[in-house]
Amino acid sequence: MIERIPGAFHPFVLPFVFGMLFVLTYCLVGMIRVFFELPREDRKRFLISLVTPKTIWKNIKDIFLNCLIHVKLWKRNKVLGYMHSSIAFGWFMLILLGHIEVMLFLPHRVRFFYYPIFFNFFVAEADATIQGKVLMFLMDISLLFVLSGILLAIYKRFRSRFFGMRRTTRPSFLDRIAMYALWAIFPLRLLAETFTAHISGGSFLTEPAGLLFHRFISNDIHVLPTWWAYSIALCIFMVLLPFTRYMHIPAEMLLIPMRNAGIKIRHPRKGFAKLEYYTCPNCGVCIDACPMSVRKENLKDCTVYLNRQLRRGNERRIAQISDKCLLCGKCSAVCQVGVQGPELRLAQRELRPYALTPDYSAIDTASMQAAVSAKPAKVLYFAGCMTALTPGIRRATETLLKAAGIDYQLMDPEGGLCCGRPLMMAGRKEAAQALIRKNVEIIRASGCDTLLLSCPICYRVFLESYPLEGIRVVHHSVFLEELMREGRLPVEYTSGSYVFHDPCELGRGCGIYEEPRAALRRIGFLHEAEKHHAESICCGGSLGSLSLGFEKRKDITMNALHNLTANDPETIVTACPLCRSTFARYADRPVEDLSEVLVNHLKSR
Amino acid sequence: MEGKPNKEQVAIIGAGIAGLEAAHQLLRLGYAPVLIEQADHAGGHVAEWNRLFPDKAPAAPLVEELLEQTREATLILRAKILSAGRLGDGFNIRLSDGTSLHVRAILMATGFSLFEAWKKEEYGYGVYDRVLTNADLEHWFNTGDDTRIKGDLKRIGFVHCVGSRDVKAGNTQCSKVCCITAIKQAIEMKERFPEAEIWCFYMDLRLFGKKYEDFYIGAQRDYGIHFIRGRVSEVSENIDGKVIVKAEDTLNGKPVKVTLDALVLMAGMVCNRDIQPLAKELSLSIDDDGYLKSRDNIGSVTRSDRKGIFLAGAATGPKTIPETLAEARSAALDIHNFLSGE
Repeated sequence: MIERIPGAFHPFVLPFVFGMLFVLTYCLVGMIRVFFELPREDRKRFLISLVTPKTIWKNIKDIFLNCLIHVKLWKRNKVLGYMHSSIAFGWFMLILLGHIEVMLFLPHRVRFFYYPIFFNFFVAEADATIQGKVLMFLMDISLLFVLSGILLAIYKRFRSRFFGMRRTTRPSFLDRIAMYALWAIFPLRLLAETFTAHISGGSFLTEPAGLLFHRFISNDIHVLPTWWAYSIALCIFMVLLPFTRYMHIPAEMLLIPMRNAGIKIRHPRKGFAKLEYYTCPNCGVCIDACPMSVRKENLKDCTVYLNRQLRRGNERRIAQISDKCLLCGKCSAVCQVGVQGPELRLAQRELRPYALTPDYSAIDTASMQAAVSAKPAKVLYFAGCMTALTPGIRRATETLLKAAGIDYQLMDPEGGLCCGRPLMMAGRKEAAQALIRKNVEIIRASGCDTLLLSCPICYRVFLESYPLEGIRVVHHSVFLEELMREGRLPVEYTSGSYVFHDPCELGRGCGIYEEPRAALRRIGFLHEAEKHHAESICCGGSLGSLSLGFEKRKDITMNALHNLTANDPETIVTACPLCRSTFARYADRPVEDLSEVLVNHLKSR
Repeated sequence: MEGKPNKEQVAIIGAGIAGLEAAHQLLRLGYAPVLIEQADHAGGHVAEWNRLFPDKAPAAPLVEELLEQTREATLILRAKILSAGRLGDGFNIRLSDGTSLHVRAILMATGFSLFEAWKKEEYGYGVYDRVLTNADLEHWFNTGDDTRIKGDLKRIGFVHCVGSRDVKAGNTQCSKVCCITAIKQAIEMKERFPEAEIWCFYMDLRLFGKKYEDFYIGAQRDYGIHFIRGRVSEVSENIDGKVIVKAEDTLNGKPVKVTLDALVLMAGMVCNRDIQPLAKELSLSIDDDGYLKSRDNIGSVTRSDRKGIFLAGAATGPKTIPETLAEARSAALDIHNFLSGE
């Protein structure tokens, strides 16, 4: 090992040094800003989490698995996973090995942070020792690993279907430049190291390539231009990084510990929200996932484009995209970095101007309180407004409750108050809170210990936003399955076949997938839809969208129906009155609520 | 067909009042109409009705008279069209009973379907015991047989526009006849149950025809029927099985809530989807509302955009009986002009 360049400096490192300093400064300032934009209690929580051993370990594990290995992408598609982990992990290994080389051989040069990157230029006979040989070999293997990923990345631009993606994001102009710079970095590094291989030494990749080139060109005159080009490509990539999709690389490393600290979006544009939309890698997995993408004109209304517009500050488009979303949450379910599409949009909706501000504080709940406290029951059944429009579900649920001998009463026999979820979805948290307070008064007056709901829209808000300590909030699918399991609801198994549609609010919203399926397995054969559980497709009827017209939802519903009937079940079963009505409008076979199919299978005692 | 060797046959698809009246006129013009009907009786929806607005005239004599006038025509009931297509300068139609027709002119008098009221589940048809449709009520007028009408009715409600002018029900058009039918049925109910209080929930009243407005004023003045402008928001059932209707009275700006012994849904006219395969076979255009498409909606309502195929009655959209009969006559004349070769 000989240090070839005295002073350990050559002007070609300057572009890299500039790029590196720029991107480090930018990210550091950005991180500090994001940190100080958090509310005080969140800052405290974050700092505490950084010194809690449990979260430290989790942070390291998550950063390693997500940022370097990209485990989620592997689960989605092997080729896509390989492509990303080869680039990320390979590059990381190149940097790490470079540093090990320097620390091992020239420890006094570690403070020149460009030194590990251009190690092969500055040294000669680096492969003279066995350690040197091993390191050189590892360097070449890492480089080969990255190059294979780059080749796949180039192929992906032409045929994304090979990677399991029907559609990908249209890169912006700067994205393209940065992407080309990224593609150029590694072939240039290979060339640069190849041309210096006879000086610095190399391994299985660089040495034979160097000999090969030597046959027909003079390697020496190409050394400097390629090292310059390599440095410049790095510089372009790093200078553009903050303004392109590649910002996700540093942003995710902050997002993961903040998420692990339990921090949530509190402001539409500041702090955690900002971090989320900077973490979006623009991969476009959410485009295929978005139920609206069956309509060509809504292709640009999915989360990746929301993130892009948020970064650009295009208020008109931000409002449009935020209002249009059905809030089904599928983009979050498939997102590789965990950007919360619905939550980001709900935060934007809070900025929405409304001409009127309703005041619900004047609603007198005395009569409703009196009605439920007159004959207290253990179970209080809140059917909700959607169930009022689908009386069959309420009737079926009541029949089942009676059959199981449940001591119950209706919370809204004469009409109740709204649960508040539609207001929340419209970005009107304050108004929703007023209704929540009113409903809590009624629930508390009833003296119940269980609040039963048929509608997942209500269920979610009661579960998440109601202060109902001591009262069990339960969806009828869970409650009825429990009764069946306990043998209190005897049902008959028949030859019918079913498919279960996971309502967005129940499945992705509240994590209930298995109970309704278990209930259905007791009465007949259960098929699965093509996409199910967390990847089920929104029925299109969602209250979430503020601006998607009725006619335009038909394509979404038809697509969801197509997905459900892939295995040709006789009956489509769901556990949401809104999904049921929406599907029933266009379905070619019966669509029923779980309670309704159960009633039809009830054994008469 | 044998017995009428010299007369040219004309195929009429549908033996409702449009088909019957057209057949009657074509007979008089010297043709041999063949009525093809899928049901087991002629007269269509009118044959199942009890009395007709605005004179409360019974429906049966009208149908009987039409049947009498078309005795000479061939009537094929329970017919299924196996195939229909162009052949030479005319059409060949093959039926399930083995009949094969070769005609130069076809009249599509295929009528409408009644909106299936269970699709508007919020009104509780098929869920609650005391909810019925206008057609059920006419059936009850005819037969007195309906378990949903129990004892002496004290309070009765009518909901207008069920499945009409309703994007979510898939029908944006007005059914034209329901407003006046609701008034007629309300009056008839009041005559049967003089003590009853009756409410009609409407979004707006479209009383365009002769005597309709007088009928409406009479319903309020002479029969004391309440007309509430506002759509029904919710229908539920109380412990006694009675129907609770909530609506908004938009003229008073107040919510209303009534408990009823019977609720009648004015199910509207919707396009007859059963004929769409036949229309496709004959290359007939279907309008975006699902009805057959006329060449134009002003001067050539009874002509299709295919040579030799004519349209009459509710096949092209909701129609009243006088309109249907007039169209049938007009179509018969069109067919005559077409066949006599101008």
